[in-house]
Amino acid sequence: MQRWKQYGGLLGLFAAFLAAGYWGFTATGGALPYAKRSAKALQRGVQESGGSLVDFGRGIVVAGPIRKGGMMIEFGAIVLVLVTLGIGLYIYVDRYGGFDDREPPVS
Amino acid sequence: MAHIHLGEGTFPVWALILWTTIGVVLISAIVYRIRKGSIKTHQIALAGIGAAASFAVFQLNIPVWGGIHMNLTGLVGIIAGPLLGALIALVVNIFSAALGHGAVGLLGANTLVNASEAIVAYYAFKTLMRMDWDVFPASASAATLGLSAGAFLMGAIIIISGVNGSALPRGDLTIAVAGLVGLNLGVAVIEGILTGFIIQFLASVRPDLVDLADRDTQEEPTGVTA
Repeated sequence: MQRWKQYGGLLGLFAAFLAAGYWGFTATGGALPYAKRSAKALQRGVQESGGSLVDFGRGIVVAGPIRKGGMMIEFGAIVLVLVTLGIGLYIYVDRYGGFDDREPPVS
Repeated sequence: MAHIHLGEGTFPVWALILWTTIGVVLISAIVYRIRKGSIKTHQIALAGIGAAASFAVFQLNIPVWGGIHMNLTGLVGIIAGPLLGALIALVVNIFSAALGHGAVGLLGANTLVNASEAIVAYYAFKTLMRMDWDVFPASASAATLGLSAGAFLMGAIIIISGVNGSALPRGDLTIAVAGLVGLNLGVAVIEGILTGFIIQFLASVRPDLVDLADRDTQEEPTGVTA
């Protein structure tokens, strides 16, 4: 398919979804964290409000229930276990060619 | 990023039973299919890494649209496939709920939502690649479409279930849920772009990991000149 059609379709999709996103942002309380927005919108209904779409001052933070619940160590431990397991699996498969009894691929 | 961020007891009991049952049926069917041997080895390795990345990103709140988190379920679906992608959605939701991010009672509903994202993203990506799309627009579109499917399913689950303690009539609840779905569509664009770049990078360094080795081989010049 012609490249302009591909990127045109992608841009059209993005434009429609961004417009829907902006409407959702203003209709459900403006600049609120998602969990708070969700609870307020479902309890009180649509309430128009604004605020900045991007707030770099807020930074990237760990989800409230984990941060406030004192579960940061558990969170870090689970990420570490999953990363170790994932990389270990990847190396094993890459080196030995799989989990079955077939001959490993000739490199 | 679709995820039902409501506490325990928000849904009526019949709804919890319904979504949990459907979730169990879906996961059982997937486990059965996996045991029948329809998984490639490299997908298992990628699933491990995908689960780690998805879980970590799931818990990070980024300062866009007021504060949202991403799922990477579209990415996971494309690289690990629909079966393992759905299992990763289950694993990520179990760990998240164990840490308090998402209710335990909503595990079935949230697994359905995130599994649908991975499944739709995978099939959309395959369809677009068969239509001879470039890797970036195909993967970005597929991830965005997958995430939008999850957002609509999330909205449908909330509307069908109703919310305990909410005084909103069903019509007003539907409008409020539509707002949340709309916001999720906006987030899907961010995640779609990120997924597009990651898949394009993977396709350039290890096309076999995203099942594009054949396509690259076909496009490669043979080196034979007249």
